[in-house]
Amino acid sequence: MISHILDVVTSAAILYVVAAGLLIVFGVMRIINFAHGGFLTMGGYSVLAVSNLGLNLLVALPVSFIFGAVVGMAVERLVVRPLYARPLDAILATWGLGIVIGQIITLAYDRGVQLVQNPIPGAVMVLGENYSRYRIAMVAVALVFGVVLASILRWTRLGLLTRAVIMNEDLARGLGIDTGLIRFVTFSLGSGLACLAGALITPLSSVDPSLGTSWLVNAFMLVLASGASLISLAIAAVVLGGAQVLISSYANPVYGSMAIVILAALLLRIRPQGFARD
Amino acid sequence: MTERDSSSALQIIAPERPIVPLGFFAATMGCVALALAAPLMLDAYTVNVLTRSLLYAMLALTLDVLWGYAGILSYGQSAFFAIGAYALGLTSTHLGFSFGLATAAFFGSLGLAGTVAALTGWLGFGRGVTPLYVSVVTLALPIVVKQGLLSGGLFTGSSSGLSGFDSFDLEVDNWFRIGGVALVVLTALTWRFVKSDAGKILVAIRENELRCRYLGIPTTTVKIGLLVASAVVAAAAGFVYASYTVVVAPELAGFEFGTQVLIWVALGGRGTLLGPVIGTLVIDLASAELSASIPYIWELAVGLAFVLVIVAMPGGFSPLLGAFVRWTLRLLLGRHLRVRNETPPRLTCAAPRPSARVTVGVPSIEIRNLRRRFGSLTVLDGVDLTVHPAELVSLVGPNGAGKTTLIRCIADGAERSSGQVFINGHDISRSPPERCVAFGLGRKFQTATIFDTLSVGDCLRTARASHVAPSLHRRDPILALPRAALDVINATGLDKKLGIEARHLSHGDKQALELAMVLALEPSVLLLDEPTAGLTKPERALIGQILVQLVREHKLSVLLVEHDLDFVRDISSRVIVLHQGRVALDGSVSDVVGSDLVRKIYAGVQE
Repeated sequence: MISHILDVVTSAAILYVVAAGLLIVFGVMRIINFAHGGFLTMGGYSVLAVSNLGLNLLVALPVSFIFGAVVGMAVERLVVRPLYARPLDAILATWGLGIVIGQIITLAYDRGVQLVQNPIPGAVMVLGENYSRYRIAMVAVALVFGVVLASILRWTRLGLLTRAVIMNEDLARGLGIDTGLIRFVTFSLGSGLACLAGALITPLSSVDPSLGTSWLVNAFMLVLASGASLISLAIAAVVLGGAQVLISSYANPVYGSMAIVILAALLLRIRPQGFARD
Repeated sequence: MTERDSSSALQIIAPERPIVPLGFFAATMGCVALALAAPLMLDAYTVNVLTRSLLYAMLALTLDVLWGYAGILSYGQSAFFAIGAYALGLTSTHLGFSFGLATAAFFGSLGLAGTVAALTGWLGFGRGVTPLYVSVVTLALPIVVKQGLLSGGLFTGSSSGLSGFDSFDLEVDNWFRIGGVALVVLTALTWRFVKSDAGKILVAIRENELRCRYLGIPTTTVKIGLLVASAVVAAAAGFVYASYTVVVAPELAGFEFGTQVLIWVALGGRGTLLGPVIGTLVIDLASAELSASIPYIWELAVGLAFVLVIVAMPGGFSPLLGAFVRWTLRLLLGRHLRVRNETPPRLTCAAPRPSARVTVGVPSIEIRNLRRRFGSLTVLDGVDLTVHPAELVSLVGPNGAGKTTLIRCIADGAERSSGQVFINGHDISRSPPERCVAFGLGRKFQTATIFDTLSVGDCLRTARASHVAPSLHRRDPILALPRAALDVINATGLDKKLGIEARHLSHGDKQALELAMVLALEPSVLLLDEPTAGLTKPERALIGQILVQLVREHKLSVLLVEHDLDFVRDISSRVIVLHQGRVALDGSVSDVVGSDLVRKIYAGVQE
């Protein structure tokens, strides 16, 4: 029982971390970044690169974030910017970009599955249950993600401008806010977060060029079901991620892997705003 | 009857070749002959690979109709292909192969694919869901089907799929011929369909679904029908694929394959039919050749080309291909090919339909205690009003009084919070716009709402679609419109512009076109939201004159939202003042326009 609760909480935390970058891009730009999967994969491989260099794995965190943010800047300029008015095409173009990223990684690292050492190995006693130390750490990471993003939005000038863009982009532009810059910063932040998330989840599994694709669909569903708010993303991650964990352990792992997709699709049909308040 | 003036219209006409049935037939037969002869000219390896590509091309064609014409972006066509493929794999593996069983499996798979598509459409095209939601559903579908296949254990062969089952005993060359002929015939039929009057309806739905619904077209049903048809064809292609390769794997159902189909269509040129077909053949054949010699780099190049096409070349590579074909033909024939423009339809007057919807003595519009709230904000607060046949009632009031909201509540049953609305005595209850239109309603929007990429003639024909079923395979050279619509068209000179794309019209012409489209519905009740906004003085006078004439001669009842009090004074038989969500005044023109309240509201005079 306790182990199930821990599974639900830690899985939700991992999903939250994985989906956060996608969420802020969708929230501000109303664009689904299907290259998100590619960025997750890039994060995974940056951990591999750092460990191949023999550096401390913690170095991989800033490296992956910066790497993702820089690539995100280029992507925003070259691919996303011309597609602001064509959101469905933006999905396709970024999906194509995901393919490109995947193939470049394959060219550099080959197709095989590679393992990365876990920087926080071992188990820890939680509520009388021996539980993976790394998964517990992910809960803290998710909290940091949420708090930092919320604080940026709430307390900084950039956050204020971003909120203005979210509410009414035309009006914001009319007031002299450089909405193009806000979009630029948002996209590179989202890409950086995606890369960072990829680096963070890597020790839990292995690295291969299709690492991101499997996470992408679930992240996409969570973001749509959450209606693009940081709080409802947490709710969506707990409810849908929880359903995934419980269905996997009580019924069948294959049904569990479909749980988020099916439940999100049904939820959005009944309640188009999903877990958001309105 | 109106004489068309082709000389002026032809210069700006949509660049579209006419379908000359004889030439079309000859081209089709030529392609059939090519498909039959090709195995003799190609080496065995190419025939082998191309047979598969031909079936993929059929799949791409179904997606092109959905995406390129109707604007339905589906990531899940692969799921239907897999349903067809597994139908043969499963029956043949578990029940053995016989011609009868395989035939049953074939039709069974078509039925299953159609049913799944209908469910997908019902889920994805429901009311109030966003266009993005269709993507969610079509993304979920292949994932569900693939996971289902993976979890099927020995029955579906799980991750390794099924292979080596018995199938039809045919040589590779003959499989190629079957695939080739099927692809040619399918492409030809689809070509006829998308270029027909019915095909224009698909474009109309893509351009402006709301306008279509207010023209009485059940767009959801049309889209579900199209999805079902595409699924049935995809399943048939999948069935032939399994019969030929005798291998089926869960990857056939996955969304990765679904997006692969999207890439073929995008690179070939969406909305061109031939582009996606040629694109699939070329890319799939090249993939088979190049994945071995330059692995990963080829996929990388395809990915880059896909991004480039989506960002910068929405037509894919088909314009380049078209230019190449024209260039080749010019070299061969030694002269420029003349691209003949389509002749606009000839206008005739439709016989008036017996109007069963109007009963003598029943009000055209009757509203009882209508309320509309947005959260805590009450926009309409207990509105009661009645419009009688052959009355022209103007609805005036300051900005924010709720005029447009009221119009919306009359035209769409889902809009109001409470109260009742009757149109010609029919309670609209929660009916969607297309039902309200069937009760005799016509609604003109505040901003001209037309189909930008359709010609003026096609816009008008789309407006007639709920009365006259459009042809599925040809262009009708005659367009019959009711008298009132013809009057508007003739008075504004639109009869000379039938071949022009609607987006090239002036603002005034667009407004007139939309009015003509609404009148083509033969409504008995007309809702007009600021029909003169942004028009010049003469255009305004013309519209006013037309409206008065409609009421007098065609016995229409009109409810008109208007800010211009002079205009209202000139044409109305009654005026209703809406203020802060309630009916403040309801009376004759002189009573209302001269009243203190109206002066206070409009001139801001304080008491």
